[in-house]
Amino acid sequence: MTELVYGLITGILFGFFLQKGRVLRYDKQIGALLFKDFTIIKFMLSHIAVAMVGVYLLYDLGLVKLSLKPTILGGVVLGGLIFGIGWGLLGYCPGTSLGALGEGRWDAVWGILGMLLGAALYAEAFPWLKTTVLTWGNYGKITLPQVLGVNHWIVIAAFLAGTIALFRFLESRERSKKAANGLNPDKKITF
Amino acid sequence: MRQDGWNPYVAGALSGLVSIFSVWAAGKFLGASTTFVRTSGMLEKWFAPEKVAKMEYFIREVPKIDWQWMFVVGILIGSLIAAVSSGSFKWQSVPDLWRQRFGPSVSRRAAIAFVGGTIAMFGARLADG
Repeated sequence: MTELVYGLITGILFGFFLQKGRVLRYDKQIGALLFKDFTIIKFMLSHIAVAMVGVYLLYDLGLVKLSLKPTILGGVVLGGLIFGIGWGLLGYCPGTSLGALGEGRWDAVWGILGMLLGAALYAEAFPWLKTTVLTWGNYGKITLPQVLGVNHWIVIAAFLAGTIALFRFLESRERSKKAANGLNPDKKITF
Repeated sequence: MRQDGWNPYVAGALSGLVSIFSVWAAGKFLGASTTFVRTSGMLEKWFAPEKVAKMEYFIREVPKIDWQWMFVVGILIGSLIAAVSSGSFKWQSVPDLWRQRFGPSVSRRAAIAFVGGTIAMFGARLADG
């Protein structure tokens, strides 16, 4: 029961920030896939950067366990490609479809119904997939620091440096685009 | 041009804190797609309980309401609160960008969204995401 309450509270907070960040809308999701709107990239990488540092700090303190999924190339590559096609058609991903509905974009309902069917079909196909696609390139539960043979903080530092570099690039690009359009660049964000 | 909503870096970072809180307080990492499997299983159970009970995937991902199921429902509520309190809630059956490109037909949008959802979830599950 406590677990369910935690789930609900966590979801409410997460949904609140997703909506405030304006990342739930079809236009934003498709904009990201078209490389025209980087709001989702900014939101997502900011989330990952913060969560990565926090979770690994807690991990080093022995307060949390990591939850690793096995790296199965067959599943990840094929699944990723299939997911991308569906995402491009729908314009919402599984979690954000509920958030989009929450801000009134009720075309998400069709997507949610479709996703329920997709999950049911996957359950039907699973016994076959398990003996085929899901055996291709199975590396088990691995992490990047483990594969590279380095301390996880080195990987985190490299990720943070790359993320900040990308953010700076995006901001300077957007500023010069606005300047080119003859608009005043709105409040500068610097890193 | 006025910035609509919050700065995405700030909103994203705050949502990252939610992630940390969840892992620390409940030992749960954020995710959504397993919930669709569980819900599908719960719906199928109404029609074919014996079949669902024997299906390997539903033995793995038991059709029941769990932490993640509540998390996904919470996303809807949180988004609703944020949207209503800021006046950005808007009933819309066809997104603006879609309308510009494919016209105002609700049924066309519904059909493609449904098919897209089916494909997306199959892929998401295959990638175990």
